[in-house]
Amino acid sequence: MRNPLGQALLALIFVFAPLSLLSFGGGGAILAEMEHQAVGVHGWTGAREFADLFAISRVAPGPGTMLSAMIGWKAAGWPGALAAALALYLPSSLATYLAGRAWRRWRGSAWHRAVEGGLAPIAAGLILAGGLAVLRAAPGGWPIWAASAAAGASLLYWPRLHPVPVMLAGGALFTLTLLW
Amino acid sequence: MQSAQEDGSGERVGLGRLFAAFFRLGMTSFGGSTASWVYRDFVARRGWLDERGFLSAAALSQLMPGSSGVNLAVEVGQSLRRGPGACAALLGLLSGPFAIAVALAALYAKVPPTPLLDALLDGIAAGAIGLTFATGLRIARAAARRPRSIAILFATFLAVGVLRWPMLPVLLGLAPLSIALARWERAPPRPGGHA
Repeated sequence: MRNPLGQALLALIFVFAPLSLLSFGGGGAILAEMEHQAVGVHGWTGAREFADLFAISRVAPGPGTMLSAMIGWKAAGWPGALAAALALYLPSSLATYLAGRAWRRWRGSAWHRAVEGGLAPIAAGLILAGGLAVLRAAPGGWPIWAASAAAGASLLYWPRLHPVPVMLAGGALFTLTLLW
Repeated sequence: MQSAQEDGSGERVGLGRLFAAFFRLGMTSFGGSTASWVYRDFVARRGWLDERGFLSAAALSQLMPGSSGVNLAVEVGQSLRRGPGACAALLGLLSGPFAIAVALAALYAKVPPTPLLDALLDGIAAGAIGLTFATGLRIARAAARRPRSIAILFATFLAVGVLRWPMLPVLLGLAPLSIALARWERAPPRPGGHA
């Protein structure tokens, strides 16, 4: 295909549709691979830009995976945003839809528990890898590492703490430090 | 209002109302809180789903790939109105956040970078990365209780996070191994153990 828009859309679909079916444990699981593809492989965003869009996507409403629409928009405008979001949400939604009926019969079987128990540690490892990937993409140096650790520790220690105020507090803290 | 879980016996939820309910949910769920809002809105307040239907849908939505909130919308829409219901719920949940995400990306591209904006976004990113780590560690605490699951967790983190190997081959290798180990571990019946 010669058309550059068509090529960009195809590339977005080929990146996000497989990720859709690999995001076990939620969108956090594919964060590392999204960073790798968007920054390293296709150059849709710079490293700093990726970290910024990640931050914005987390304080915006809706699932954090809407970061895909932002990357799609950067790569190919509105059609890119739509292609990336559809590619990311349709395959997993279709799989969930189809699994819905079988699920009720399957529930409680030994295989069901094995799949659940087997995928859980992988999901945890992938999500932690995603945190590390954004941390490396963010240009802020040690203050970001320290602030991330502090934010993570407080959210673990106080499970009822809402994450959005924590993120905004981080933004306020860094802004004030700069103005000081 | 009675529970409308049984097919045909309860109140039939209109597709427009389903869309509207999920649209509101999409615009008000921040930081991955969709499941708790679905519970509050659909089970406790509207009575569209009973407790068991919700728990079953929530468990499946977490097991399947994809964002659990999005999967939950598909499941709830499906259990209320089959295919059209799943589509209405999915569109309702995602259309608002999609428009906002693109508008914010466009705004971000327009605003010239200043040290102040950089600092603000760095601080938000730090909080968001902290949230990612907290989520991962919380799942790890529940999931990695045995040596084999701790080993799988570290292998995944090492391969994808530290060594930056591509995720697909890593998963193709580790997922079947991990599931087989979990299956094998539970396979022998233990008559002496608790039921």
